[in-house]
Amino acid sequence: MGTSCGLFAVALPLRRLLAAEAWVHELAARLTRFSSRSELSRLNAAAGEWVVVSDEMEAVLRAALRAYELSSGLVNAAVLPAMLAAGYTRPLAQGPTTAMLGGAGALPPLPEVLRVRDGSARVETGTGIDLGGIAKGWMADELSEMLGPNALANLGGDLRAVGDGPSGAGWPVGLTDVTLMLRGQGAATSSTRRRSWREAHHLIDPRSGLPARTGLDEVSVVAESGYEAEIIAKTALLLGPELAPAYCAARAFAWWLGESHDG
Amino acid sequence: MRPLLLKIGATALTLGATAASAFFVSSHLKNPAAPLQPAVLSASNGSSTSVLGGTVVVGPSVQPTDEEPITSTYAS
Repeated sequence: MGTSCGLFAVALPLRRLLAAEAWVHELAARLTRFSSRSELSRLNAAAGEWVVVSDEMEAVLRAALRAYELSSGLVNAAVLPAMLAAGYTRPLAQGPTTAMLGGAGALPPLPEVLRVRDGSARVETGTGIDLGGIAKGWMADELSEMLGPNALANLGGDLRAVGDGPSGAGWPVGLTDVTLMLRGQGAATSSTRRRSWREAHHLIDPRSGLPARTGLDEVSVVAESGYEAEIIAKTALLLGPELAPAYCAARAFAWWLGESHDG
Repeated sequence: MRPLLLKIGATALTLGATAASAFFVSSHLKNPAAPLQPAVLSASNGSSTSVLGGTVVVGPSVQPTDEEPITSTYAS
């Protein structure tokens, strides 16, 4: 998935930590769009056909549909064609490709692109799904449960902490310039400061199909779970500086709103 | 005679209902301190700090600490 992962646990047998690491590698291989052999790529390439999917893939796809609802359409996994048009066609370590933004337009509603039923899913012809942050948040939540009662899982910045942490006061997690003690909470950052190139970046505004420019370029959030934090952070960034404070106040436990220098 | 009584009765009923409504409304003034919809704009319960380039708000259910973080949301 082109990102890093950190697993922390107190009083956990090493074999369980290793099993969790193996699970991360297995899921990442299934959910990445950067491999043509991944489960996600096969689903995207099926051109409107129903495809048998694993339990985990089904769960993440359903999570993507729920994220679309929770964000009123701002978190839209049907973003793959727009990301490819912006030049994000391969891991950024290999460099972006030429952006082709001339034909950009609003993304189609996710429920019209993605359909899921028990054990199978379908992606409309000519569209594509990227599970990016949704998958990271979902995996962090799953891992935090998998690792036991006192653990923290960080999937590329989407994390969830359970239990009292190593000192008994919680898990110290950095959120911009402050450190917060998390217990049974998740956190995530949505940012256009990273994964950016030339005039583009990876965070697509579904209303335009273009890299987002809202006046905020970074939002970090603490919420109930990593999945929720991911949705809230991305939605707040897309809402912009006028609406994001009230939105975060209604949904998050703590938040950082970073204003962009180019407005 | 009877139509006149009916008119007087209807008028009295209308005036009575109006007076009763006015009394009810004036005795149930809107509380300007009442909260808006669920917890929107409740950031006042937490601490808000402006730092270079943005704002950090920490609500009451999260504790800031001076400890070194073991990880952060900037891992990617």
